[in-house]
Amino acid sequence: MLGQLAVANLLTFGNGTVMAAILQQAFVQQARVLSNEQLLYAFALARVTPGQANLYVASIAYMLFGLPGAVLSIVVIALPSYLMIPLLYSYEYVRGNRRVWNMTRGLGSSAVGVILATTWSLSKDSLNAPVTWVVLAIGLALLLFTKLPTVVSLLAATGAGVLIVVATGTTPQ
Amino acid sequence: MPPASESSVSLRALGALFLKVGLSFGAGTGMSAVLLDELANKRHAIQRGEFMALYGLARLVPSGSMTALAVAIGYRYQRLPGTAVALVAMILPSFTLTLLFTVVYTLINNSPAFRLLNLTLIPAALAIVIVSAFSLGREYIKPSLELALIVASAVCVLVFNVNPTLVLLAGGAIGAIAIRDRPTETESGRTR
Repeated sequence: MLGQLAVANLLTFGNGTVMAAILQQAFVQQARVLSNEQLLYAFALARVTPGQANLYVASIAYMLFGLPGAVLSIVVIALPSYLMIPLLYSYEYVRGNRRVWNMTRGLGSSAVGVILATTWSLSKDSLNAPVTWVVLAIGLALLLFTKLPTVVSLLAATGAGVLIVVATGTTPQ
Repeated sequence: MPPASESSVSLRALGALFLKVGLSFGAGTGMSAVLLDELANKRHAIQRGEFMALYGLARLVPSGSMTALAVAIGYRYQRLPGTAVALVAMILPSFTLTLLFTVVYTLINNSPAFRLLNLTLIPAALAIVIVSAFSLGREYIKPSLELALIVASAVCVLVFNVNPTLVLLAGGAIGAIAIRDRPTETESGRTR
């Protein structure tokens, strides 16, 4: 897992959403050691807690390997940051290098494609009852059309879902 | 090390500063705003332009930009011990809270409350993934090689089941060879 995590971190430049796409493929679809619900819960955690958005990997690592896994996962994603030190000494060159920037644009574009594919896959598995569609719609509306912080939108959509479940007497499967 | 005209930041102060940064909401954007305010406006320990350059540079490092920025700032004031203190102080609050919530999640596994989460919190989290994907992809939605790469990557993963790692590697290689645009001022971090 740590190897997969290290590769995902290096390739995605630590972007939490893109990394989630790679981890979903690796752990949910291929290794089948994690469920989509566990992955999304971990992902949501990163949005309701302060700090970096990619620390949800600690949650996933805890689910799979307990505390040692969680600690090691953080070490794995933080360690490449030390590349910053040699970069500081040569940053005028790197900053203006066209190939480096074009490579990051190519990576970014592919990452968006991978995320779209993963989003489709996550949606298929997670939207399994009418109430889930309603919660998704509320969440999207709040995130896209209001200026509420992400954490507030997430909690509001979840709260609305709870109210609907209670009001309609839906039995969670 | 910082120029003589700027104040330095002690190891203890770095720890306190990054603890505050680690407790900020808004992920990288919110955290870097707090860091900039503390270092440039309140402590006069760095010039705004220099901070922006470091921030732009941090985005080139293959890790989270905030961890790279913590290393850069820690190294600037206290060399290697400074990097360790900055990283630990910044990561600790979120790490602790994440673990606590995960323990709760594992404890309620298979209970009615857990199943309720699947109907309510999970689709709300999915909304965040969709909006993040939209936000990341918005700048590429125009006829370009980048748009072609997005479509090709999605098809490779969804239809042909290609490993996303390989797709990303191929995208980076194609970008380095085939994309022709010069970096803009914003992309190169000079105006951030």
